[in-house]
Amino acid sequence: MDFSRYLERRWDDLLEQAVQHAAVVALSVLLATAIGVLVGVLTWRSARASGAAISVSAALLTIPSLALLALLIPLLGLGWAPTVVALVVYSLLPIIRNTVAGLRGVDPAILESARGMGLTGRQTMWRIQLPLAWPIILTGVRVSTQMLFAIATIAAYVAGPGLGNEILSGLAGLGSANALNKAVAGTAGVVLLALAFDLAFVGLRRVTTPRGLRV
Amino acid sequence: MSDIKLVDVTKQYEGQPQPAVDAVSLDIAAGELVVFVGPSGCGKTTTMKMINRLIEPTSGQILLGGADVMSIEPNELRRHIGYVIQQIGLFPHMTISENIQLVPGLLGWNRDRSRRRADELLDLVGLDPAAYRDRYPRQLSGGQQQRVGVARALAADPPVMLMDEPFGATDPITRERLQKEFLRLQAELRKTIVFVTHDFDEAVKLGDRIAVLKERSRVAQYDTPARILAAPADDYVASFAGSATAIKRLALIPAVRLPGEPLDERDGLPVLERGGSARDALDLMVRRGTSRVAVGDRTVDFAMICALLEDEHGR
Ligand SMILES: Nc1ncnc2c1ncn2[C@@H]1O[C@H](COP(=O)(O)OP(=O)(O)OP(=O)(O)O)[C@@H](O)[C@H]1O
Ligand SMILES: [Mg+2]
Repeated sequence: MDFSRYLERRWDDLLEQAVQHAAVVALSVLLATAIGVLVGVLTWRSARASGAAISVSAALLTIPSLALLALLIPLLGLGWAPTVVALVVYSLLPIIRNTVAGLRGVDPAILESARGMGLTGRQTMWRIQLPLAWPIILTGVRVSTQMLFAIATIAAYVAGPGLGNEILSGLAGLGSANALNKAVAGTAGVVLLALAFDLAFVGLRRVTTPRGLRV
Repeated sequence: MSDIKLVDVTKQYEGQPQPAVDAVSLDIAAGELVVFVGPSGCGKTTTMKMINRLIEPTSGQILLGGADVMSIEPNELRRHIGYVIQQIGLFPHMTISENIQLVPGLLGWNRDRSRRRADELLDLVGLDPAAYRDRYPRQLSGGQQQRVGVARALAADPPVMLMDEPFGATDPITRERLQKEFLRLQAELRKTIVFVTHDFDEAVKLGDRIAVLKERSRVAQYDTPARILAAPADDYVASFAGSATAIKRLALIPAVRLPGEPLDERDGLPVLERGGSARDALDLMVRRGTSRVAVGDRTVDFAMICALLEDEHGR
């Protein structure tokens, strides 16, 4: 069967897998952003604490993904849960690192005037530091998202959602009639999704960067 | 009441051989503008920041309107003390108006009132609200940002202002204009102000009183500009005051205060501009090669100026 006919026949399944792929990445990145920014906020002031947080998240990134999933199955079973946990683990490093860098980059004179005006630490964080660090944090989130689109294909091994299933079944049936079509369709889908998200990030950056920083 | 009283205030930074501020005592009256002047590193900033508790003293006491600042919650204290730093520190992601409204907002003013206040203050510091309120700090020149910094510190009408080299980052011409406007403002507002600078001439221009500080923030002399110029307490103060102190003193005396004789129009004397100082009168004499000039409806001569300096010396 040629590729276009294959696509036509499998279009609905592929679309559903693509939507799930995007959903699992988006959910994981959202969770990772919440966790990563929190870790950055709690540790940025201390070189030692933030260094440790970055080292740990970098070490996590070196665990082979299959091994990590295998470790998660006894705890979380199959499907979405181990997939999301693994993806969150892999996306922490860029987010934590950029949060720390962004917060460190805020001009000390700005912090001093905030303190001198009587803003509490929390008010300074929410109203001054995070908005100023946001463009850099968002860049970290964007890098993580791109990484996750590729990594998420591995979820198929734990019966997780997404285009990985298409690729995996292609690889498993190598030599059979549609094996190549499957692998190509799955891979192309991942790449296209990643591109679409990257474009969305350009827009998101535009919308969420405070106007005063763009002038 | 918002007088400030420093009693034996000492600050010892961790790991430093000597205290940065060593048993300093000073009284600053309500409504008075006191300038801390001294060489770099002598402890001016440290002393000032202990007043709003950005730095905590190691020992001693600071009283604000009679109350020990250490007994006031720091953020609450700071919201009632205007604070201007040399680097200005405007928040770049907020508009000029939002920058000014921040402290009123923290104090629970409603938005309308804060907004009107921001406009009023922009006006006060010489920036047209319609043109500037919605701009961002990066769209302003350094001097304009400095004005906004002062406006922001004034936002909640604090009785006390702390200003750390607020005009430091501007060129001499802008600086002089800012100083003039600031004096005009202060004449109107009568805040209790601590103003830090290492420029003695700025201190002379602005201060009701000057605290000349030496190392470890020790007070070498604390007096009015005229008296410090006329009678420096020691060599240190004298060297700080620099040369031509008699001329600098004349700059502090409005020419209309000079004793004079009724003017005879037929003399055709050079006429001093309105608002000129005794120094301007002297300058006019030197330029025109006369020993007499017309000030309003009187004539002032060189000998009178000399006599006046002699007079003030004793006071
Ligand atoms: N956080 C700190 N830790 C240790 N030493 C400090 C600290 N801040 C200031 N010092 C020291 O205390 C002394 C006084 O510093 P301060 O900043 O008060 O000086 P200053 O008179 O404001 O100087 P300048 O005119 O240069 O601003 C200096 O010797 C400085 O090195
Ligand atoms: Mg200083």
